[in-house]
Order: sequence, then structure tokens, then C-alpha cells
Amino acid sequence: MTRVRIDGIVKRFGEAVALNDVSLELPPGELFTLLGPSGCGKTTLLRIVAGLLPQDVGSVAFDGEPVDDVPPYRRNIGVVFQSYAIFPHLTVRRNIAYGLRARRMAPERVRAKVVEAARMVQMEPLLDRMPAALSGGQQQRVVLARALVIEPRLLLMDEPLSNLDARLRVEIRTVIRRLQQALGITTLYVTHDQEEALAISDTIAVMDHGRVLQTGPPYELYRAPRNRFVAEFLGGMNVLAGRLSRLPTSGDVVLVETDFGATWSVSVNGQATGAGPVWLGIRPESLRAEPPPPGAAAGWNQVAGTVTDVGYLGAVARYQVEVAAGVSLTAEVHDPDFAALRRVGDAVRLWCDPVKVRILAPHP
Amino acid sequence: MKVPGLRSVARRRRHRDAWWVVSGVGFAIVLAFLVWPLCRVLAGSVLGEGGWLAFGETYGRVAAHRYYWSSVLNSLGLSAAATLGAVLLGTPLALALARYPIPGAVLVRTAANLALLSPPFIGAYSWVVLLGRNGLVTRWLEPLGWGVPTIYGYRGILLAFVVQYFPLVFLLVSGALAAVDQSMEDAALSLGSRPRQAFFGVILPVILPSLTAGALLVFMATMADFGTPMVLGEGLRTLPTLMYGEFINELGGNPTMASTLGSLLILINTAALMGQRYFAFRKAYHVVCLRPLQPRRPSRLRLALTSAAVYGVIALALVPAATILVSSFMPTRGPVMYLGLSLQSYATVLHLVPRAVANTFMLTGLAVALDVGLGVLLAYCLARRPSRTHAALDALIMLAYAIPGTVVGVGLILVYNHPPIVLTGTWVILLVSYFIRHLPYPVRACAAMLQQIDVRVEEASISLGVPPFRTFWRVTAPLMFPAIVSGATLAWITTIGELSSSILLYSGPWATTSVEIFTQVFSNHFGTASALASILIVAAAAPLFLMYRLLGQQAAMAP
Repeated sequence: MTRVRIDGIVKRFGEAVALNDVSLELPPGELFTLLGPSGCGKTTLLRIVAGLLPQDVGSVAFDGEPVDDVPPYRRNIGVVFQSYAIFPHLTVRRNIAYGLRARRMAPERVRAKVVEAARMVQMEPLLDRMPAALSGGQQQRVVLARALVIEPRLLLMDEPLSNLDARLRVEIRTVIRRLQQALGITTLYVTHDQEEALAISDTIAVMDHGRVLQTGPPYELYRAPRNRFVAEFLGGMNVLAGRLSRLPTSGDVVLVETDFGATWSVSVNGQATGAGPVWLGIRPESLRAEPPPPGAAAGWNQVAGTVTDVGYLGAVARYQVEVAAGVSLTAEVHDPDFAALRRVGDAVRLWCDPVKVRILAPHP
Repeated sequence: MKVPGLRSVARRRRHRDAWWVVSGVGFAIVLAFLVWPLCRVLAGSVLGEGGWLAFGETYGRVAAHRYYWSSVLNSLGLSAAATLGAVLLGTPLALALARYPIPGAVLVRTAANLALLSPPFIGAYSWVVLLGRNGLVTRWLEPLGWGVPTIYGYRGILLAFVVQYFPLVFLLVSGALAAVDQSMEDAALSLGSRPRQAFFGVILPVILPSLTAGALLVFMATMADFGTPMVLGEGLRTLPTLMYGEFINELGGNPTMASTLGSLLILINTAALMGQRYFAFRKAYHVVCLRPLQPRRPSRLRLALTSAAVYGVIALALVPAATILVSSFMPTRGPVMYLGLSLQSYATVLHLVPRAVANTFMLTGLAVALDVGLGVLLAYCLARRPSRTHAALDALIMLAYAIPGTVVGVGLILVYNHPPIVLTGTWVILLVSYFIRHLPYPVRACAAMLQQIDVRVEEASISLGVPPFRTFWRVTAPLMFPAIVSGATLAWITTIGELSSSILLYSGPWATTSVEIFTQVFSNHFGTASALASILIVAAAAPLFLMYRLLGQQAAMAP
């Protein structure tokens, strides 16, 4: 199990700054995800860790040892690429054996290890196929086995699922997570898919414009985003502009006057609370439509509005509710009863627990 | 405390690899064997004997004497007419095959590919065999009192050019049509266009870049063609033949005038190239083709008439090669051929000029091997290490496409006929010319292939512990194999019948088959010429068949 330290990495491509002073620490045995929109620098960072791209400034260390001067072929890493990068001229068996043969391992040991690795990804029956005769999901399993069989210190995965269809994506994702945990390999995982990141990661680092905005376990990023970008990138988020007006009234509750008139109570809960303009963030699933949900207390925020759109998605129904001219909130109803759904034009009152409202610092 | 400057210097050294050696060698070779000779020719066209600027002795002389300027007009007129003819014959053929379900379409395409195999001057010679003064057709028609219009001169050259080059236009336009999606035409028709309007408004603009590219290739090839006007010209001078004549003149060659005419040739071809590039750049559209144009269902009569026309045109393209092959087995006396079967011509070849055939195979094989060996490595540099330096190298290598063989030949002689390096009179100078002129084929083929190969595949290999250079041999080179084979095949086909520089560069025992054919034609030994030409055609076709067997249909034959 390898501990990876990324220290002050800067990378420019001409004038463009791809990475702007990024520092991270990957705990041993963890699956660490870089999450961000395309162009945020996440793949660049992965390639620097792999040694496939030289950084301009900064250092990468495996277990405290700097690897900046170690070429990629001596770093002992396994890389899985978005485009699979399977060797199309070699059989599945020789694809998996490639790294072992490069290490001049005895042929009979290679054979045994290849079979073992193929079994891990359920590809043993197809060992003698050529890649052209494999589906995308099968190719991805082969390159996963190829990367794991060399027992790398570190596994790097660059959007490994983005070329697969939705069903396969979940299936392979499960395979990756199971193997990663069983083998205890420190893994750096790059994706732009927030659901994938939440499902698979021990720790997520959200990136934008070459910077890391927030690092933490999935639930923390989802429940306590520190700024508007993180909040909106991970799941849906209603964002309201407002003004933090008064100090705590009772216990840790503060009042925020929103720009459209209503006053919201927010449970501070250790959040930063300098008086002044703030953004409020409310997840759609935290906004409840009438009738008031069981357990709603007197202290809950309420706001009246008009339904402008109803989206029925099976497990969830989603309302767009206009609460003031130009201000619209999204609210979700889980396990909706279709007959009881509201129509466009209906008046509706939304309820929200002050504990579920976040105060978001403006985007840096 | 970080010291960014120091760190990045250290890192740059670590990541520098050995590929710069390859591009350095590439630069050295191209500069020594292409750029320098070319500069000598260009310099010769502006500097007089004294080494001073003397336009009066060069371009002034061309403008002043009808003897010179008429050759410029002849060349321009012939090439323009030949280009027009090839386009007017090749384009409808491609359209007919794309739009009508013509039986045997695959065979027609194969025939077009085959027609491109035989060297141009052999095509010209075949028309002499058929329609010349002692031609087969001429003599058959003579007793009937029918005269055949003369094959010599302007019209004969034009006929030989059009027949030689229209398959090229056909193949390029066919390729472009294959990339037009049926939905484009459907959309035009659904919006109220008539079929004719849909063709001129939607389909023609999309295929136009390929059409003009084909036209350009025909124009440049006919401008540079030395053998055809030499065989059929009979006093009609074109730029390459006059240039050759000036250089080789028995009364003492005139390198200055040869250089001037060569420079004019380069100027005209470069202007054509620039014009086409400018046009194609502005008018190139990116089309995504999911479903190619579907053949229409014409009436039976219409289909029959169209098919007959298609077969007729494609048969015309095969006439030269067929004539050569058949005539090589006929008994001959001098330029006269008789009906019958005889191996007499081949016996003469074996007896008199076996050396020429051996020379051709040896020199072609060696040149192609060098082209492929260096071409693969250079292509990797150009495709995988893009930089301004490499873009310049790419442009220099491609220069060989645009420069006529006669100019390369004259340039090489001007540079390498005096110390410190003397190559004239040896076989090496032939090898150099073959090598440098056909280097673009493997480079282009391999570079195009590399664009298709995911860089990540190489990175995967490196990450698995195989250093970059070994990765190249273990992963990249095997994946490039189809391109290597097709690049080698193209280089082989175009090298084996090379005449325009060979005729200047050969000496004594190093005459090649093409030179020998030329000599035999001019000394009226048509049987020997036919036999030698047949050997060339078969030798050119053999690797193509081998390639199809080796690679199957994936080997798309690029012109």
C-alpha cells in the first residue's frame, strides 16, 4: 500500500494554466477520486502522477520518496485509460502478460498469474480471443487485469467508464471497487460523473480551473459543500442570494433575508457566519411540498409559490416552483403518487428544515 | 523553498529522447539530396555563366526565342487539356458507379487500379505499337484504304495522357462520393430540389475538393512527364524534353538553359499546387457518412446503356497494358509486328540486356527498403512529436512530390559531379534519386496510420514497464504494418518504371529497364521493348496482389 503525496504541482500549456499549485495526499489503500468538469486539469494531474507528462513545478512522492526523476516505465504503476488502450495486435492472454514479460518473469509464473488475473475480472474463458472480438466492457476488463497483474504500487484510472453504456458502467464500477478493496491498492480515479464519484470513492477532490476546491469523503462533500461550485457540481442545488442579517436568535439558528423577500432561518452548525451577502444552498430533496411533512416543526422555513413545471421520473417527481418573479426553486417528491401530483399553475407551499440549508461562500 | 528554474531544466533533460537523431538524419538527407540540388537548379536559372545575376541569359532568352517559349506553351496547353479530359472522363465514370447498380463494379475499380500501374511512357509506347506508322491497327486498316490519323504530335500525346490519368480522377472522386451521406441528398430533395439541382447544389460541392486534388495531380504529372512527349512528340517540344535536350546536347550541354527550363517547370507546378490548396482549403467540408449514397433504380435500357459506356471507358484504360503484354509475345522484325506466338522477344532480352532488368530490381529494391526504413521512423517523428521543426521537415520531404524527375536528375548532376563528393557515373546516384523521390509515400502512409493509432496504447505499454524505444518496436511498429506495406508497395510501383531522372543519371553498365525500353523504342526494336515493358508491368503489379493477399480489403490503394 502506497501513500502518495502531490506537492505544489504547477503545469502550463503555453499560456494556459492547467494546474495551479495543486497539493493532495492519497492515504494508502484508498480509492481517491479527482472530480471535475472537462478541462479542469484532472487528467493532466493523473498523467503527471503516472510520469507521462512532466510538471513545471512541484513534486510527486510515493511513500515519501520523490519520483519526479523516475521515468514512467520504472514507476511500477498500473494505468487504465479512457480509450482502453488495449493492444489490438495481441490476444487477451498476451495483453495481460505484457507487463510481466517486460519484467522478464519466468514463463510458467507468467501463465499462472495471467490466468489468476483473468479470473478476477471474469475473462478466463476468453483468454485466446483477439481484442477486436471483444465488447467494450470486456476490453475494459482486460486492461484492468493487465494493469493489476503487475501488482502496481499505484493504480491510475482515467475516466475508465466513460465509453461504456449506462448499465455496463454500473457493472464495471462494482468490479473495480471490489478488486480495489480486495487488493488494497492505492488508486487515483478520474471522472466527471458525480454519481460515479459518490458511489466508488473513499475520498473525492473536486477540481475546477486547475485548482482543488474541496477534498473529503463523499457524504461530506454532498452534505457540506464549502462553495457554490462544489454544491452545484455534486447533485442538484437551489441557490438563493441573500443577506446574513442577525446573529443567532435561539441556539445556533441565524436569519437570512433573501433577495426575493422571504426570511430564512438557517442552522449554523459550525458554518462560517460573517454578516453580509451570502449564497444559500438547498438540495431539491430537502424542499418538501405541502402537506407539511411529519416532524415539521414551527421553526421550519416556508415559502409559497406557483408550480411552473412537473417532471415525473418514476422514483422521483420534480417540481419547478416560482416563488417570486424570476426566482424558481426545484423540489423533489420521492415515491410520488401520480394521481396526487400537482399540475402546472397550482399554488403550492414548500417546507424546509433549517438544518438542511447551507451557507455557501461565493465561488473563488 | 522551491527553485522552479532549476527543476524544470533537470526535467527537460530527463524527458528528451532519442528521436531527434532520426529527424536530424532526415534533415541531413533531404537537404543534401533534394534541397541543395534544387537550389542549384534555381540558382542556375538566375545566375549566368559568370555567377552574376543575368536574367538576359536565362528567362530573357526563353522570352526572346520561339524555340523556348513555344515549349512552355506546349506544356501548358497539353497539361490543361489532359487535365480537362481526365476530369471529363473520370468524374462521370465515378458518378455512374456510385449512382447505378452496375454489374461488376468491383472489377471496374480493380481495372482502374491496374491501369495506374504501368509507367506513363510505356502507355505512350503502346499507342505507337497500335496506331504508329507500323502499328498493328494502322497496317490492318491500310488494305481497306482507311488511313489512321497520326498518333504523333499534340493529339497523340493528349490521348496517351488522358487514358493514362483518368483512372486517377475516377478513383479520387469515387473515394469522395463514398463519403457523401445519402441523407444529404434526401434532405435536398425533401426541401424541393430536383435531382439535378441536388447534385449541383449539394453533392458536387462536397466532392469538389477531391475533384480538384485529382485534377492537380494530373496537371502536375503531365507537366513533369518526360517519356510520353519523347516517344510521341516527333519534334513537338515540351518543357521536360527540351530541358533534357539542352542538358544532354551533343554540342556541349547548356546547364544554364536546362536550369531555367527546370525552374519554369517547378514554378508552374508550385503555382498549380498553391492554387489548389488555397481553393480546397476554403471549400473543404467535413462530412460524416453513416449511410453512403444509395444506387438508384434506373430503367433497364438506361442501365444497359450506362453499363456499356462504363465498360467501354474502363476498357480504354486497359488498352495500353494489354497491347504491351500481347505484343511482347508476337514475332517482330524491327518496328513491325506479325500475328503469331513467339518467345523471340524474351529470348532477346535474356540474351542482350539481362543486366538492365537486374539493375532495376536491385536499385528499386534497395531504394524502397531505404524509403521504408527511414520513412517509418520519420513518420513517427512527424506524427508523434509535432513541432515547427518537424512541420518544416514534413514540408521538405513532400517537396519531392512536386519536383519533376528531370529537375531532380539535373540538380543531382550539378551538385555531385565534382569533388568533394562525386556520385555521377556510379549506381549510387540512381539510388539517391529513387530514394529521395519516393520517400514521401511511406512517410505519408505511416503518418496517416499513426493518426489512427491511439497514443494511449503506447503510453499503456510504457506504464507497464517497457521503455519508449522498445515500445515503438513491440507495439507501434506492428500496428503500423498495413501502412508500411502499402507505403512500400506504392514506392515500388512508382520507382520501378522511373524514366525521367534515370535517363539523365545512368551510365554505362547501370542502364535500367526503363532506360533500355527507351533505347529499344528509338532503335526500332519494338519486340524487345514490349518484352521489357511487360516485365516492368508484371513486376509493378506483383507486390500489389501480394499486398491484397496479405492485408485483404483493409489495404486501400491511395494514388
